[in-house]
Amino acid sequence: MSAQNKKSSYEHLQEKWVARHKELQEKIRIKHKESLEWVAKNLAPKQLAVGSLGGLLLLASPGVSLPLPHQLIATNQEASSAINKNAFVVSDLSHELPNEVRPLTNEEEQKVLQVLSRDFDFKLAAELDGKRLNRSYGFIGQEQHLARFPGDSLSSHFDSEEEAQKYSLEGMAPGLGAWGYFAPSKEQFTKKDSLREKYYIAVQTFLAPGFLDHVKDYTDFFKYRKMLVVNPNNGNAIVAVIGDAGPGESTGKHLGGSPEVMRYLERVDGSLKGPVLYFFIDDPSDTILLGPVYLDK
Amino acid sequence: MKKHFYSHIVETSSLTLSLGDMELSQEERIHLVSLVESQLHHTVLDAVLSELSEEDKKIFLKHIALSEHDKVWELLHSKVKNIEEKIQKAAEELKKELHNDIKKAHEKGKTTL
Repeated sequence: MSAQNKKSSYEHLQEKWVARHKELQEKIRIKHKESLEWVAKNLAPKQLAVGSLGGLLLLASPGVSLPLPHQLIATNQEASSAINKNAFVVSDLSHELPNEVRPLTNEEEQKVLQVLSRDFDFKLAAELDGKRLNRSYGFIGQEQHLARFPGDSLSSHFDSEEEAQKYSLEGMAPGLGAWGYFAPSKEQFTKKDSLREKYYIAVQTFLAPGFLDHVKDYTDFFKYRKMLVVNPNNGNAIVAVIGDAGPGESTGKHLGGSPEVMRYLERVDGSLKGPVLYFFIDDPSDTILLGPVYLDK
Repeated sequence: MKKHFYSHIVETSSLTLSLGDMELSQEERIHLVSLVESQLHHTVLDAVLSELSEEDKKIFLKHIALSEHDKVWELLHSKVKNIEEKIQKAAEELKKELHNDIKKAHEKGKTTL
């Protein structure tokens, strides 16, 4: 599409929608004038500024025209700087997710899956091969780096000095991940192993329905299983593998992310912890790359 | 996006996805999404207000201004029969128009090449 074409489509839409927006305002102003004036007079301005009526009630004042939505948004630096396709992910998810962080109902899960599958163009599932996790929406906590092969330490762990500076603070986990080392030796360690450790999550495999009855079967299924992890508050998404089991139920967290995963998702641990969505990626041919998913590319 | 009292019964992802398919700058996209949200908001408010008496309109607007969604629904359920359906009908009619607008904008864009 050419720049001229793009501009024309946008201008055509915005012209029509601004006109309709003004018509709607005028219609409401005339039809419901008395009640709008009453509320404008009887509620404190501070209450009106943050509610759903903040702008609408300006209509109750003669001679005042309501700012158009983009004029309001232009004053919001945070909104205007974060406008990309992620905004659509955030918008779509906001209509489907509950206000509190809890396990999703089957219906909610399906709606969320529909949105994510469309937005990210992956084949996603809450249940694969008859297996599912205990939940698909929960609080994520910070994990540490995992030893990738015998002898791996912070001094050998990073590909560059820049990476080391960025990610070494989280330190190495004292033990191994649930599947042991990613490679049996440094010589046998591959790029794939490196990416698996870099982009790993820990999930509560032990709480998966049916896990205790079929431990080996479930363990084999979960080992390095690809998942899409999405921060519903900023739309950031990353393809990760299940690299460890945890966290414990008593922590109040439902999964953990490697330092690289957490950094990209812009999630932190502690009192400021936040939720993510996590679903299996059905990728039997192993063609989907691990790491951040950029919607604008 | 702000959660409104009707957010759980009015789905807008099909519109935001349609806009996401267009090649727009970031500012253009957010502008159009904000216009969608605002048109829907005004349409839903008009649909609800049109069902209420003058006294109930004031109570409703007060609850909305204070984001007291439970009280909004309590009032609406006690005063208006099938209010959810009425809200959805008004929203669906507008959404249909908005989808048509997007389709026409695509076509118009093609003819300007």
